[in-house]
Amino acid sequence: MNTLVRNLRVLRRMTAAQIVQQSVYRGAWIIFMAANVCVPIISLLIWRTAIANGAQLPIDERYVTTYFVLLSFVTMATSSWLTGFLANDIRLGKLSSWMVRPASLLLGFVANNLSEKFLKLFALVPMIGLLWWIFRDSTNIPAGPGRWAVFAVSIVLGAILVFTIDILIASLAFWMDDVTALAQARVIIASVLSGAVVPLALMPDWSRGFIDNQPFRFTVSFPVEIVAGNLSGHDLLVGLGVQAAYVLLFGVLARLVWAAGIRAYSAVGA
Amino acid sequence: MTKTYADDRQPLDRNWLHKQVRHLRLWRRFLTQAMVRETHYRAHFITTLLVGLVQLGLGIVPILLLFGFTKEVHGWSRAEVITLAGAYQIITGLMAAFVAPNLQRMTAYITEGELDGVLLRPVSSQFYLTLRWINVAELSNVASGIVVLVIGLVQSGASPDVSQILQALVLAACGLVLLASVWSAMSFLAFWLQSVNPIGFIYLNLMEAGRYPLVFFPVAVRAFLTFAFPVAFATTYPVQALAGDVGWTPVAGAIALSVVAVSLVRMLWRRGVRSYASASS
Repeated sequence: MNTLVRNLRVLRRMTAAQIVQQSVYRGAWIIFMAANVCVPIISLLIWRTAIANGAQLPIDERYVTTYFVLLSFVTMATSSWLTGFLANDIRLGKLSSWMVRPASLLLGFVANNLSEKFLKLFALVPMIGLLWWIFRDSTNIPAGPGRWAVFAVSIVLGAILVFTIDILIASLAFWMDDVTALAQARVIIASVLSGAVVPLALMPDWSRGFIDNQPFRFTVSFPVEIVAGNLSGHDLLVGLGVQAAYVLLFGVLARLVWAAGIRAYSAVGA
Repeated sequence: MTKTYADDRQPLDRNWLHKQVRHLRLWRRFLTQAMVRETHYRAHFITTLLVGLVQLGLGIVPILLLFGFTKEVHGWSRAEVITLAGAYQIITGLMAAFVAPNLQRMTAYITEGELDGVLLRPVSSQFYLTLRWINVAELSNVASGIVVLVIGLVQSGASPDVSQILQALVLAACGLVLLASVWSAMSFLAFWLQSVNPIGFIYLNLMEAGRYPLVFFPVAVRAFLTFAFPVAFATTYPVQALAGDVGWTPVAGAIALSVVAVSLVRMLWRRGVRSYASASS
């Protein structure tokens, strides 16, 4: 219990310090977020045109609009960029100095992730709000506080899931010289399978069983579906259960690989 | 009798034309050098090729899904939109090969004072900053784009004649000039803003709109994509020209717009250089 309290205190301090450091780039954050909403807006306009032109989609205009309006928010909220940085720290030996500190290097990455999201929120929320207002006639709002709570929980779970997958891939740097290609492949695969390019509901029928149950759906698509779609109470519970199971599975895996890596680690420059 | 720098010398260029030819020759040197450099990094070439192919495939996925639900959207068939995806790949490949490696350095040029060294050279500094570096590996994406374009054309049963191909080429060239001008203008803001790297990111994301025909967008957005961020000239119009739906009026319009854009960027550059106070000295 003492360890947990201490770690939380360290985390709070580091997050505060990171927020101060990163507010130097506040102008850049605003521009980055403006860039991030561009592609979802383009997709939104394309699919709305298709529907208006009589395309027979399995989802209606409301679903499509809500989906793409929320998409950039959820991708931001569950994103993580630690793979490259962590792999570098392992390869170049920065990990060594952290091994004698009273907190894990990973905690530093958690602090970085939280602070970055905190700052991005200020830039992104007004933009999403504006989009919401423009398309207010055809967007959903979570029905009641229950849905809001489930939406929030699934975003947090999604963020943890992405974070652990990143640790898992970066940890391979303990054994491999260069994980950039692997990280890049993962980003590309995830962009399709998470629903960031096209809503998963539009994927062909033959891929249904796979698409609905693979882990990347729970990093982006599932939280969005909670608001956009008409998931029944049963679907919601099953979805949250599967999401939690994936978090647990990848958490344990990342933990094992990281621990094995630390044991295999022979520090550069030590 | 030895000559010194104080003596009068012949001017570097006899006339305007000679100056242009000299710059063209210089650009050919840049290209040769870039090709030699590329042979040293073969793994980079392979990675660029693979990433380009995956991105091309990724761009086609939404199109295939979309046309799984409908036969045509606003008069565009699946084959025609795939032709467009090919054109998009060619244009983005050319931009990434010849323009992007330079404009991505703009922040460094201006904040680290590298521009000082450029201003002293006997070359147009704007030319040098915009076209000095070439990423030859990106040309592999142009090749894959051409393959997709031809597949799309064959599938859609289009048989463009010589004048239509000419129209398409002129339109695409104007599109490239226009896009390069817009990106240059955005990058030259570095004279006043210091860091423009995030602005490049906005540019790349807006480019994505070029994957789809102009008519897929609401009217207001169409105007934006034609005049403010003219990606329509680079992809939609050339593909329409190949299908034989254009004529010479838009071609003339594209040329006029390009002239205007280039002049505006030139003016912006002049103003920027005048306000440049060097970062190092």
